Amino acid sequence: MAKKVYHDGAVSGAKRIVDAALILLLVALCLVWVYPVFLILINSLKLETAISTTTVFELPLGEKFVGLSNYIYGVTQMNFLSSFSYSLIITVTSVLLIILCCSMCAWYITRVNTLASKLMYLLCAFSMVVPFQMVMFTLSKTADTLQLNTPFNICIIYLGFGAGLAVFMFTGFMKSVPLAIEEAAMIDGCNPLQIFFKVVFPILKPTAISTAILETMWVWNDYLLPTLVLDIKKYRTIPMAIQYFRGSYGSVQMGPMMACIMITVIPIIIMYLACQKYIIEGVVAGAVKG
Amino acid sequence: MKKIIALALALVVCLAIAATACADASVYYLNFKPEQDAQWQALAKVYTEKTGVPVTVVTAASGQYETTLMAEMEKSECPTLFQVNGPVGLANWTDYCYDLAGTALPGYLTNEAFALKEGDAVKGIAYVIETYGIIANTKLLAKAGYTPADIKDFESLKAVAEDIQARKAELGVDGAFSSAGMDGSSDWRFKTHLANMPIYYEYKADGIGTTGAIKGTYLDNYKKIWDLYINNSTCEPALLASKTGDDSRNEFLAEKAVFFQNGTWEYGSVSALGDENITMLPIYIDAEGEEAQGLCTGTENYWCVNAIADQEDIDATVAFLEWVITSDEGRASMAKEMNFVTPFSTFTGEYAPTNPFVLLDAQMTAEGKNPVSWNFPTMPSEEWKNGVGSALTAYAAGTGEWDAVVSAFVDGWKTEYDLTH
Amino acid sequence: MENAIKKYWPVFLLPTLAAFIIGFIWPFIWGIYLSFHKFITVSKTTFVGIDNYIKVFQDATFVDAFWFTARFTLVSTILINVIAFMLALALTRGLKGTNAFRTVFFLPNLIGGIVLGYIWQILLNGILTNLGLPLLALDAKYGFWGLIILMCWQQIGYMMIIYIAGLQNVPGDLLEAASIDGATSFQTLIKVKLPMVMPSITICSFLTLTNSFKLFDQNLALTSGEPAKQSQMLALNIYDTFYARSGAQWKGIGQAKAVVFFLLVIGIALIQLYFTRRKEVQQ
Repeated sequence: MAKKVYHDGAVSGAKRIVDAALILLLVALCLVWVYPVFLILINSLKLETAISTTTVFELPLGEKFVGLSNYIYGVTQMNFLSSFSYSLIITVTSVLLIILCCSMCAWYITRVNTLASKLMYLLCAFSMVVPFQMVMFTLSKTADTLQLNTPFNICIIYLGFGAGLAVFMFTGFMKSVPLAIEEAAMIDGCNPLQIFFKVVFPILKPTAISTAILETMWVWNDYLLPTLVLDIKKYRTIPMAIQYFRGSYGSVQMGPMMACIMITVIPIIIMYLACQKYIIEGVVAGAVKG
Repeated sequence: MKKIIALALALVVCLAIAATACADASVYYLNFKPEQDAQWQALAKVYTEKTGVPVTVVTAASGQYETTLMAEMEKSECPTLFQVNGPVGLANWTDYCYDLAGTALPGYLTNEAFALKEGDAVKGIAYVIETYGIIANTKLLAKAGYTPADIKDFESLKAVAEDIQARKAELGVDGAFSSAGMDGSSDWRFKTHLANMPIYYEYKADGIGTTGAIKGTYLDNYKKIWDLYINNSTCEPALLASKTGDDSRNEFLAEKAVFFQNGTWEYGSVSALGDENITMLPIYIDAEGEEAQGLCTGTENYWCVNAIADQEDIDATVAFLEWVITSDEGRASMAKEMNFVTPFSTFTGEYAPTNPFVLLDAQMTAEGKNPVSWNFPTMPSEEWKNGVGSALTAYAAGTGEWDAVVSAFVDGWKTEYDLTH
Repeated sequence: MENAIKKYWPVFLLPTLAAFIIGFIWPFIWGIYLSFHKFITVSKTTFVGIDNYIKVFQDATFVDAFWFTARFTLVSTILINVIAFMLALALTRGLKGTNAFRTVFFLPNLIGGIVLGYIWQILLNGILTNLGLPLLALDAKYGFWGLIILMCWQQIGYMMIIYIAGLQNVPGDLLEAASIDGATSFQTLIKVKLPMVMPSITICSFLTLTNSFKLFDQNLALTSGEPAKQSQMLALNIYDTFYARSGAQWKGIGQAKAVVFFLLVIGIALIQLYFTRRKEVQQ
C-alpha cells in the first residue's frame, strides 16, 4: 500500500482511530461469522430433548450435557463413516481424473490449431454456464444406462460435467507458456506424451492446484448429481446422509444431526487451515481466468 | 505407445461398460418409514441368508419419498416393492401397481377393507394400522386432581384443560396442551389428523365415504377444538407459528404440557415417561353422540408391488412379503421391534401388539366405543391440506379470520377436487 | 510439432471428449429433444410441439418461482458485492490481523449448500422463535431473507478474496499521484480504485448473479419451498416438476422449464458481461 507521507500528524492520528474502529468492527463481524458453526457445536453436545427452538442458544451445561454420545450415535447408527469414505473416494478420483484429462485436453487444444480444437474450447466455455437442471433428467438416465452409478466410476460423469471449467482454466494459462521449451524437447527426441509429462505438466502445476481446489469444493459438496446418479441402494454421500435424520412423521433427531454436521465441517476447516494459501490463490486464479 | 492409448481408453470406456450384476430374481424395497430402517435391513439380511434371494431395502429421506420413488422408477433397477398412502396416492401410481388378487397376500388380511382395491384388482395391501388421539400425562392429571376417566366428552375435556391452564404455575407446567408446531415437521397433526374429525362426522351424518364437495357441517366443532388447543397451550396463540414439532414433543417429554395430540408411532419417544404415566384420549369436538367415540384408527401405508418389474422379481417380492407376515422372524420383527400393529391374521399370540396405545384402542373398541376412521386419504390433495394449514396458522397468530379456514376447507376442497378429477 | 501432437489425439483429446459427450453434450441435446415431447418413460415419447412450453408459462408456480428468484438474485448480488468490496477495502489498509480476518470470512465457502442450509435453519428458527415471529417455513418473507443472509454468509468471503486481489493490483504510483493531486480518499476510491478493479467487479457480479440464479441446495435445505411453494426458486421448481409431480405431462413440462431456465441463465450472463465489459473498455 502507498503510504501517505505528505500529510501531517493529525491526519495519521485520525487514520489510527479509524483503523482501531475498523479492527473492532471486523472482530465483531468475525464473531458473527463463526457463530453459526459454534452454535451447531454446542448443540451437538446437548441432550436430544434439551434442543428446541427456544433453548437452542443455551450452553450445554449440567444434565443437558451428553458428551460425545450424539457423535457416537450418528456415526454408528447412520453409517456415517461409509458415507464419508464414499464422498472421499468420489472426490479424489474425480478431481484426479479431471486434472489429468483436462490438462492434456487443454494442451492439445492450444497447440493444435484445428476447427475441432476451437469447437471443443467453445463447448467447454458454454458448458460452464449451463445449469445442472438442464441435463439433470437425461444425464441421470444416461448414467443409469451406462452403469456409471458407483463411487468408483461416477468420476466419468464428473469429468464430463466438470470439464468445462478445468479446460477453460488450463487453456487460459497454457496460452502464456512459450512454445520454445516444448520445441527444444521435441528436437531432443521426446514424443508428445513425454513432452507433456516431463515439460508441460510441471509448468502447469500451480494451475493444476488451483483447478483441483475449485473442483474439490464442487464435488465434495455436490448434492443433486450423486442423489440422482448414484445407486442409492448401496451408496450415500455426506450431503445425502445428512438428510436422513428426519423421521417419517417429520421429527428430527437434532442431536445426532448436528453431530454429523460437525463431523462434516471439522475436516473441511482443518484442511482449509492447512492449505489456506493454495485455496485462496486457487480462487483468485480461477476468477482471473474465468 | 499403444499401451498408453489402450490405458487411456480403458479408463473411460471400460469403466463405462462395467459388467452388470447377475440377472437372478431379487427384491428391492423402497421403505417409507425412516424409524424402522434398521429393522428392515436386518430382516432383509435374514431372508437372504435363508433363501439366497437378495433383498435390498432403501429408506427415502423424510418428505422425499415421492421424489425418490419417481427417480428410482426411472432407473433400470427399479424398486419392486414400494408404498402408496391410499386412493389418492394410488391414482398416481396405479400403472405401476401389480394386481395382487391372484397371490396369497390378500388372504392374510383380517378385513377386506385393508386391501386397496381398484375394481376387483388388489393394488395395495395395508401393512400397519395406526391410532391417534390426545396423548395425556396421567401423572400430571392426577396432580391436578383428575383421572383420564373424568374426560368423557368435549365439555369435560375443556373444563379440565382450562382448569389446568389456570393453575399452571401451581402444577409446574407451561400449559395444558403442548405447542402446535405448524411447520412441515408436524403441521399434519392439525391440517390432516385433526381435520379428519369434522370430515368423519360429516361423512357419518351424510352416510358417505368420500365426496367431491365437502359442506363443512362440523367446522364449528373444528373451531372449538382448535380454540381449546391454542388458548390453553404452553405459549401465547400468536407464538404458535414459531414452534416446531420437536418443540411440541419436547415440552410433553419435559412434563411441561399435559396433553399432546399424536399417535401410536410416537410411543417410542413418549414411553420415556413410563408406560404407567401415559394414556391416550379420544379427540372430542362436541359432536352429538361423542361419548361413544373412540380413538382414530386407520392406515396410510399400503404395500404395492411394482408391475413393471420382471416377473421373477415380482414373484420374489410376493414371496418375501409372505415370508415377512408368516415366518417367526418376520412377525417378531414387525410386532416387537418395529412396534407395528398389522392387519394380518397371522399376528396372534406372542406376536399380538404390545404398544399400550394400541391395547387401549382395542379395549375401547371392546367396550363398545366406535373407532374413528381415517378419512384423510379422501382429502383432495396436498395443496388442500396446505391451504387449511396456512389458514389455521394465520388464525392462531391473529393475522387471519376463522372464515379463511372455512373457505380453505370448503371452497378449497371443491377447487382441488375438480383439478384432479 | 503440431502434427506430432495431432497424431496423439486419442490420448490427449479422447478421454475428455468421451466423458464430455456422456456427461454433457448428449444429455443436453436429448434434453432439448425431450422438451418437445410428452412421456412417462423415455422409451415411449409423443411429439407435442411447443405444447410443453405453453404450459410452462401457464404454470403459476413457475412464474412465482421466477419472480422470487429474480428478486433474490437482485438483492443478493448487490448486497454480496457491496459488502465484499467494503471488506476488501478494509483488509487492504494494512491493518493488524488482516490474514486472520481473511481466513475467517472465507471459511463458510467451503461448507456445502445442504449442510449450510441446515445450520442456518437451526440458527434462524431459534432467533425467530425467541423474537416470537413465525418460523422460516411458515412465512415466505422470512424464508426470503433467510436465504439472503445464508447466501451473504457463504459468498462474501469468496468475492472479498477476488476484490482484494484486484485492489492489490492497483499500481502504487497511481494512488500516490492521486494523493499528490490532493484527492480525498473517497475521490481516490471512486476515480482510481473503482475503475482499476472493474475486471474484478465483472467477475464477482457474474459469479454472484449466476450462483444466486441457479441456487438449489441451500433452497432445498433451508425452506424447501415452504410455505406452499412460496419460497421456491426456479431450480427447485424444476426438480419438483420432474420428481414430485406424477402424471404423463409433467416430465416434458419439467424439461421445457429446464430449457427456459437455461436460456434465462445464458441471457443474464450475456447481458451482464456486455454491460460490465463495456464499462471496462471506457476506462
